[in-house]
Amino acid sequence: MAERTPEAGNAIGEAPAPLTERAARPSPFPDRAARHWILSAIFWLTVVDLFGLVLATEFVTPEAFGGISWLSFSRIRPSHVSGVILAWLTMMYFGALFYMLPRLIGTRGMWSERLGVWCAWLWNLMFLLGVIGLLTGHSQGREYGEFIWPIDILLLVIWLANIVNILATVSLRTIRPIYVSVWFFIASPIWLAVDYAIGNVIWRPGSIWGAPSGALEGSLSDAMLNWWYAHNLFGLWLTPMLIAITYYMVPRVTNTPLYSYTLSLISFWGMAFLYTGVGDHHILQSPTPSWLKTIAEVSSWALLIPVFAFTINILGTMKGNWEKFFTNLPLRFTLTAFFFYFLVNIQGAFEAIQPFNKLQHFTNFVVAHAHLALLGAFTILGMGVIDYIVAQVYARPLFSRTLTEWQYWLVTVGFTGFFSVLTLAGFQQGFSWAEGIPEVNVLPQLHAYYVARGIFGAMIVVSGIVQIVNVGMTIFTNTHERRRQETLRVAEAVAPPVSG
Amino acid sequence: MDDERTQTQHDGPKLPRGWAPHPPERMLITPLVAGLGGLLAFFTVVFIVVWLPIHTFDPPASLDWTPLSDQAVKGRNLFAQNGCYVCHSGYSRPQDVRESLYFLYPKVSQPGDFFGSDQSPNLLGTERTGPDLSQESGWHPDDWQRAHFYDPRFVDPLSLMPPMKSLFSDTQIEQLITYVETRSGKSGLLRYAGQLYSKHVVTTNQGFPQPYTGFQGAHKPILEGNDKILNPPKNQLEEAPNLSQIDRGYWLSGDPLPVTEENLLRGKEVFLQRCVGCHGIAGDGKGPGAAFMSPSPADFTSADDACCGGDTGPGDFYYRILRGWPGTAMENFGERLSVDDIWRVVLFIKTIPNHTLRKNVVPEPKDYIVWQPSKELVAWLKTQQKLTDNAGFAKKQVTDPFMQEAMRVFPGLAPGDKFLLNDGKTPLSLDDAAAGIKAIYQDLLDRAWNEARTRGDKLPPEAQKAIPPTVPGQQ
Repeated sequence: MAERTPEAGNAIGEAPAPLTERAARPSPFPDRAARHWILSAIFWLTVVDLFGLVLATEFVTPEAFGGISWLSFSRIRPSHVSGVILAWLTMMYFGALFYMLPRLIGTRGMWSERLGVWCAWLWNLMFLLGVIGLLTGHSQGREYGEFIWPIDILLLVIWLANIVNILATVSLRTIRPIYVSVWFFIASPIWLAVDYAIGNVIWRPGSIWGAPSGALEGSLSDAMLNWWYAHNLFGLWLTPMLIAITYYMVPRVTNTPLYSYTLSLISFWGMAFLYTGVGDHHILQSPTPSWLKTIAEVSSWALLIPVFAFTINILGTMKGNWEKFFTNLPLRFTLTAFFFYFLVNIQGAFEAIQPFNKLQHFTNFVVAHAHLALLGAFTILGMGVIDYIVAQVYARPLFSRTLTEWQYWLVTVGFTGFFSVLTLAGFQQGFSWAEGIPEVNVLPQLHAYYVARGIFGAMIVVSGIVQIVNVGMTIFTNTHERRRQETLRVAEAVAPPVSG
Repeated sequence: MDDERTQTQHDGPKLPRGWAPHPPERMLITPLVAGLGGLLAFFTVVFIVVWLPIHTFDPPASLDWTPLSDQAVKGRNLFAQNGCYVCHSGYSRPQDVRESLYFLYPKVSQPGDFFGSDQSPNLLGTERTGPDLSQESGWHPDDWQRAHFYDPRFVDPLSLMPPMKSLFSDTQIEQLITYVETRSGKSGLLRYAGQLYSKHVVTTNQGFPQPYTGFQGAHKPILEGNDKILNPPKNQLEEAPNLSQIDRGYWLSGDPLPVTEENLLRGKEVFLQRCVGCHGIAGDGKGPGAAFMSPSPADFTSADDACCGGDTGPGDFYYRILRGWPGTAMENFGERLSVDDIWRVVLFIKTIPNHTLRKNVVPEPKDYIVWQPSKELVAWLKTQQKLTDNAGFAKKQVTDPFMQEAMRVFPGLAPGDKFLLNDGKTPLSLDDAAAGIKAIYQDLLDRAWNEARTRGDKLPPEAQKAIPPTVPGQQ
């Protein structure tokens, strides 16, 4: 099977960076666009992590930043969520896309690297303006769609420019059959553009600088649209891109062709048909039509079909390659993210059935679930991909493997603890509420969980900073030369040159 | 490191039994298939899960629905823009409604509650760090809301809500309060009308001015009652208007719990957890929230005044903690504290004059001041108000919602009771209260309807407005 399909090994045009002191070979790809998006993403990761840390602190001591209006919990929380999705993950994904796409279709770079660079700067500006708006109380007040109308328009313009860049690049391809990742690279940005435009109701700008703006007239219609849109940020953008990048990383790093073409077909079309309709499972307890809830519940379970197809495909590709999980750090990040991705789908399916939904709805269990996806899966994947791409683009090994190991363990342990305490806190809330205990009486019992969450959260922040240091040192110092000198020193100490 | 290039190429993994290799010429995905095919799949589902529900689901206004006034709409927009929905949901779920519990979620939200165009954007929310606010109207008076917005721990030391003092101006906070107090439909308006009417009664009766508006309470002295304007009617117990807000079943009730060190200590613990925001760390009614409130919170430090005076027995204290004191900022704690804990707080309060609130002091049974009903009270009960005349004891259920609300805020009045407030001129009776509440309710409702009509909002037929409110969750 594998040898007849478009082969990952053939489709990817470059060898992994050498870890020996072999002389650096400059990359034949310009990668200017990729570099701008990736490096911006690394910066935003720490910013949005710090937003999260502010939130965690306010859960422990609500008066901590009491005097500063723009650090108020209610304004930071939308900034944290928008920042994770639009600044960190989206910039990381576009960076990875601009890196991987030319290598997969046999072009030297994107159609226009310059357009990609411009878009990166504009995107940074867009997010900065949007977040300043949120922190000063200019918000549409719709969860996941908080940015005000002018920012929405700016975002869509940049997004469309990126789509043009991608499609033009694909049209220049020299490898005719396109690889699985490229399917997603083409479809996913288009899906999201439509999703964002419909979900933010951009044809109703309303008062433009804040609510009511970008919302349907009927409250419940607006809620159904809101959650359809919000879940498709994950379903049609963050998740397909995770799949696309995993489909690139695993065959590439292990140098193994993808296990099955058929399974990747199932995972692509399954995503397209089944993920688009799950959004209503966010409001299963609300007074909205039952038939829509049923569709959402069934879709949420049926979604396991493409998820299992993807899982089997990756595990099949990894067969016989597991030693690289321990030796290759980008692969370890990728597969850890892959594991959490699998978990989040199983968990999500259970959350979408009524009896369990009744218990955990509105509790921290949902917050834990959201972090399992956005932190456990997407962020850990992003960290690994960035480490991989930076080494490739700058054609040198990362500055320090020790730092990368620290980065990995800080984020993995930090996230696992974070997820566990919030899940427990969610059960505490759910069972207490079910007994008739009001919310405020449960708060003192949650204090210990909130303290632990803050500590684990701090580990995640540190992990992001470690990456900034590591990547920065990789760029600004010549690791090759340093390693060569070290090797020479060792060699001389072991066997001093015989003097003539 | 291993040299990956010299490794022998995989021959492809073995296929599971029964599988055939995928024919390469079939189902190849081209860019066109990925792009347009993907969009086709997307729009197929969008038609079903977005277009269909939005165009077929149009429930009529529920009987409880009301439009929002202009002021409330402004408040709603502030609520949305500042992200209040991230902690407060906007609908009560079937599993939230618990009969016979107190107040928080008296009914399940109906589709028709979300009628109209003034509820856009949706504020359903996804997380409950704080309580749901869809039924919040009327449970607290405006002055409580102001103190709570300024700093939530002023009125609820356990709260995790961020202080709003740096987020909103005085005008904005009044808009937010209007939104919160009128967002719950007709049943909420009815409660709010009861709250406004009893505020009028309580301040008039005790000679208090109206509370400060906006956040001024944070910077001004605690309000004081003016005894000079009071001219209590002769032949009427001075405490009678206050007692009228307490169910008669509690007027003479003693403590069911023994006065032990354990009970007193637990009472002190609960007092420190819940009560000090208003009543102060010394129990003197000078907590940080006190300056917002009119009338100001009770001072428990004097052995013969609010704490242990002859007219207010332990049962009265119990009832006020259990159900709150409409018109004052005293909340109901019936859902948050167990019956035993409320009684323990009552026991403890009656030790406060003996300095039991001091640090590291364990209240002892000898500190407890035993209550004796005053001669005037006993005489009053013999001649004027009999315990058995309690309105709640009536065999025939009242059906008029305004009378129901009047009975909720004045449970101690019998249908025939006619008193004057302590200013000597304002009448106090269930009929007056029901009429007053109805007038306030009607005024709030008319104003909201007129302003919604001027805004050009979608409105149900005029007949919906005339349907009287219902009182969900009444015991």
